Amino acid sequence: MTVVKNLVKKNFFRDSLQLMRLSEEVKKLPGILDAAVLMATDTNKEILQKLGLLTSDGEKALKDDMILAVKAEDESAADEALRKIEDMLMKAPAAAAPEAERIYYSVDSALEAMPDANFAVVSVPGEYARDVVMDLLKRDIHVHVFSDHVPIKDEVEMKRYASERGLLVLGPGAGTSIINGKAIAFANVVRRGNVGIVAAAGTGLQEVSVLLDRIGLGVSQALGIGGNDVKKEVGGIMAIDCIRALEADRRTKLIMVVAKPPDREVMRRITKVIAEETTKPFVICFQSLREFKPPKKLARRVKAVRGLHAAVIQAVKLLKPKAVQKAHKRISMRPRELRALAMKLAKKLKPGQKYIRALYTGGTLMYEAMLIYRELIGNVYSNAPLSSKYKLPDPHKSLKHSVIDLGEEEFTAGRPHPMIDPTIRKLRLIEEAKDPSVAVILMDFMLGYGSHEDPAGAMIDSIEEAMRIAEEDDRNLIILGHVCGTRKDPQSLVEQERKLKKVGVQLFPSNALAVIASALIVKRGKVRADRLRRVYRSFVGI
Amino acid sequence: MSEKVLKLFKSELRVINVGLDIFYKDLTRQGVKSIQVSWQPPPKLEKKLDEALKKLL
Repeated sequence: MTVVKNLVKKNFFRDSLQLMRLSEEVKKLPGILDAAVLMATDTNKEILQKLGLLTSDGEKALKDDMILAVKAEDESAADEALRKIEDMLMKAPAAAAPEAERIYYSVDSALEAMPDANFAVVSVPGEYARDVVMDLLKRDIHVHVFSDHVPIKDEVEMKRYASERGLLVLGPGAGTSIINGKAIAFANVVRRGNVGIVAAAGTGLQEVSVLLDRIGLGVSQALGIGGNDVKKEVGGIMAIDCIRALEADRRTKLIMVVAKPPDREVMRRITKVIAEETTKPFVICFQSLREFKPPKKLARRVKAVRGLHAAVIQAVKLLKPKAVQKAHKRISMRPRELRALAMKLAKKLKPGQKYIRALYTGGTLMYEAMLIYRELIGNVYSNAPLSSKYKLPDPHKSLKHSVIDLGEEEFTAGRPHPMIDPTIRKLRLIEEAKDPSVAVILMDFMLGYGSHEDPAGAMIDSIEEAMRIAEEDDRNLIILGHVCGTRKDPQSLVEQERKLKKVGVQLFPSNALAVIASALIVKRGKVRADRLRRVYRSFVGI
Repeated sequence: MSEKVLKLFKSELRVINVGLDIFYKDLTRQGVKSIQVSWQPPPKLEKKLDEALKKLL
């Protein structure tokens, strides 16, 4: 008979990636049907519950505890597996980087081994980031801080210290940078070129760098500064330092800034630096409710857009005006073409199928989706909405049109990000498929270093199951997708798109186009032409 | 002010990765010289012991 057992280890920490890998190993043990080893956060306990892996012991565990959960063919297999997991945990730090020639346990010893280190990537839990980063800055090392939940006062302290010494602190919470053509954390393999990017939006940086690559342009440097940099408390310290650095960098011919709208005072400061200290052309992509208007005296060389796709088109207009049509051919679809496709897909739906459920792993792409939906179908529900009125009471349950950022805290506490671990989205997709009022499901697939080795492949069985659930209920489910990646990414764009197309996912070259298409589908094509044109101008650049 | 940054842009990257080893592996795969620092949170002292230590120091 099947046995489910939990063993709780009190106050025991391993990072979520190590635990994910460990869980995969445990699943291969003899007599084991399923297993998960994870920190006992509420999210993780809920997942264990859904997977049928939670017992009353696990339920009582606290967030600093670890739960070892196994489902086995019999009692002895379960006990044996739990014993093995404990052994494996004891070896975990050494096994964590099996390819490393040597693992160091302090920054000091690492620096002794690499005295000429010039860059560091820090991904320790946020509360500890400051100490590690300050240590590195004191040795004149630039730092990319991937860690989330770094207290804002720590961010200000680190950035002020770095800025005074001419060093970079990219992040905290920076998912992506590309330095000297090398991907740092979550970044794609894009060609080198002359567009320098400053982004307070990780997947926004990925989307623009990927689209630039697809139209034949490239990136000189892409600097992720973290979402808080342009807020009042931090004051745009790194946004400004990075703009100055890219202005001075000879390879960079155009500077692109991607962010949610900054605080007003920060905006004024950034604009002043652009006006007084730069001469290069700029594309400013502030993802805002209203269009940002650069001062008139800058209008010729500083262009503002609201969408990521539009930012890339604007860059071509400034750098290679003759190549604009060719660029559109590569990544754009005309409004008429998109409407026709949407109408064709909408014919498969029943009248009661009215709603969009967008399940995002990329936060910036999700935010862009909300801005577009607001113009085409009105406000949508979300776990991180534009207006608090539309906050989902329970982030695990969608309402009407819902757009979910699965990378938010409530889904990621003690878990790897959904760009690495697809479990959360797989479970959610099945839930959405059971709802007969759902018409369209929209998903992003983020490729590149850092991400899951096969994000499309990992979702395939769940996509097929979702479609089967709908079919058995005598309805069709339309699944739209956007793969953010390049041919040179480790996962290969071509391969990933092929897998998704094979199971009937309709793909789009950019997030903006996928979002507009989903809105047109639920509206059965009935969106006023002038409104569609306006959205296209702001977000697609046509 | 950008001198150190411009120097970085012209230099070969030499990276210290503190924390998630996935980033170390990805840097190595790209041919970037990197070393891995395996990080663990400082041990949590029991409250009484912590207070006693603070008094002493």
